Amino acid sequence: MSIQEEAEVAQNEAAQTEAPATVAVPVNLVRLSKVGQRPDFLDYLVQLWDRRSFIVFDARARVQSGNDKHHLGSAWLVLTPLLNGLSFYLIFGLFLGTSKGIDNFIGYLIIGVFTFSMSTRSILGGAKSLTSNTSMIRAFQFPRASLPIAVNVRELFSNVPVTIVMLLFVIFTAPAEEITWRWLLIIPAILLQFLFNLGIGMLLAPVLLKVPDLSHLLSFIIRFLMYVSAVFFAEERFGKYPVVRTIMDFNPIYQVIKIIRDSVLYDTTPSWRAWGVLGLWALGSVGAGLFVFWRGEESYGRV
Amino acid sequence: MVVDDISVVYRTKNKTEGRTNARTSVLKNLRGLRRGESTVRTTALSKISFVANQGDSIGIIGRNGSGKSTLMKVLAGLIIPDTGTVYASSNPILLGVNAALISSISGAQNIRLGCLAMGMSHAEIDAKFDDIVEMSGLEHEIFHPMNSYSSGMGARLRFAIAAAVDPEILLIDEALNTGDAQFKDRSKARMEKVTAQAGTVFVVSHSLGTITGMCNRAIWIDKGDFIMDGTPDEVAKEYRNFIWRMNEGNADYGRQIRAELMASLPEMRTTLLPNGWKRSR
Repeated sequence: MSIQEEAEVAQNEAAQTEAPATVAVPVNLVRLSKVGQRPDFLDYLVQLWDRRSFIVFDARARVQSGNDKHHLGSAWLVLTPLLNGLSFYLIFGLFLGTSKGIDNFIGYLIIGVFTFSMSTRSILGGAKSLTSNTSMIRAFQFPRASLPIAVNVRELFSNVPVTIVMLLFVIFTAPAEEITWRWLLIIPAILLQFLFNLGIGMLLAPVLLKVPDLSHLLSFIIRFLMYVSAVFFAEERFGKYPVVRTIMDFNPIYQVIKIIRDSVLYDTTPSWRAWGVLGLWALGSVGAGLFVFWRGEESYGRV
Repeated sequence: MVVDDISVVYRTKNKTEGRTNARTSVLKNLRGLRRGESTVRTTALSKISFVANQGDSIGIIGRNGSGKSTLMKVLAGLIIPDTGTVYASSNPILLGVNAALISSISGAQNIRLGCLAMGMSHAEIDAKFDDIVEMSGLEHEIFHPMNSYSSGMGARLRFAIAAAVDPEILLIDEALNTGDAQFKDRSKARMEKVTAQAGTVFVVSHSLGTITGMCNRAIWIDKGDFIMDGTPDEVAKEYRNFIWRMNEGNADYGRQIRAELMASLPEMRTTLLPNGWKRSR
């Protein structure tokens, strides 16, 4: 109260004299704080945690409303990857014969396509989370990282029925696979994949906001990523090109797909190396993503 | 709330050469791009400083494009100014007409989403939900998706949501012009409640009647310059005088008024007291 009174008095005095005098306004930082200034990194994380119910609610509301305008509604969550799998099966399995040397090619293909499509949607959604939510950003003051997180949580939610369909496919298409404890390993694998997608989305979102042209390039990058993830052919296909093999070895999405295939289809416990590559990518990208996103926090409101 | 020397410069693309001319060659466009000719800098606010006290309700007037909405966004912390700082005792809440929510979900879900975005908990929202619905004046429509609402209904819902947090500093950007008479009364009562709780209200409006009727102080900005600060009646009088001169074609005299008023403003200088330092008084 005191500073404001003082400022008022000073202002009144200046107004009385009618001369352009200088008004001194002391700003007491104990009572007043800067508006819109980004908090410390740790405070930012705490603020994000405080908004967790916002993130979850936003994600839920969008899962429900996302398919409202379609007649089949949420069935498209399952139908889209299904049709995708079918078309890849026709082209690569039957016509081009990439199925050679792969046990249970349908299962192999379904796992590849379903798992990869989750990353595609999450990364694209996360990258566009700032550009597509400008009205939200201009309306409310909240930690902006809630937006890419909400998009990724939504994809995680909508991925649950997709994963169940994927497993049903594996069970009911010949040759049937035995259900072992290893099936549970897909849960940590998908969670690590979620973290990786989130981090990449948060790294891309500020860049996309500054350079919108990049959104045109993004689909090509995703396509390249798909080819080095061995979605619909055996990884030995690239045996002749050691460079591509190395890229694949360090490609986290390929490692997720491999972990799920190993544990669901081939009854082998995934290697520690696969977990290591995936885990490092997941934690690294989420850490870097949060940091980069936080650094640009103040700039997202003005476009 | 202390506003210290804020300036905002927008960089936009200058499209005068683009479509209005019959043809422009791609090459020329590229060349322009390289030299950076196509971007222009628009000063939306230049060096604005003032102090707003608790209990003030401040009306902001000015012609279109004079930076009123930009000022509101800066005060709310949604835009960070190029220079200067805004200090406030609490986080200001902006009510704007173009603050869209998610149009595909229902009004009720939007209430929850908006309140959560402002940092309320589910329990707090449950307690206030009926008040918000009543404030918005929506009945069964609250469960319809928001894209079926009229623009007035949407604006009322946004106002009700933003007013739900009991903000200490409330910024209203032309939101009052959209509602009907019943809504105007409600929102006026809401504003008075905020000022009565020793809060601060800013109102942007083109209706001088609204400002003189609701505010105890008025600020006039024009093309990003801070022109005048005083009681609503004084400022409205000078503003009307200025607009009248401009419309009459006597622009020079108008500019003279503007310059004289600007020159009579006292300069403000802020001194920062360090954080944690207690003043002995």
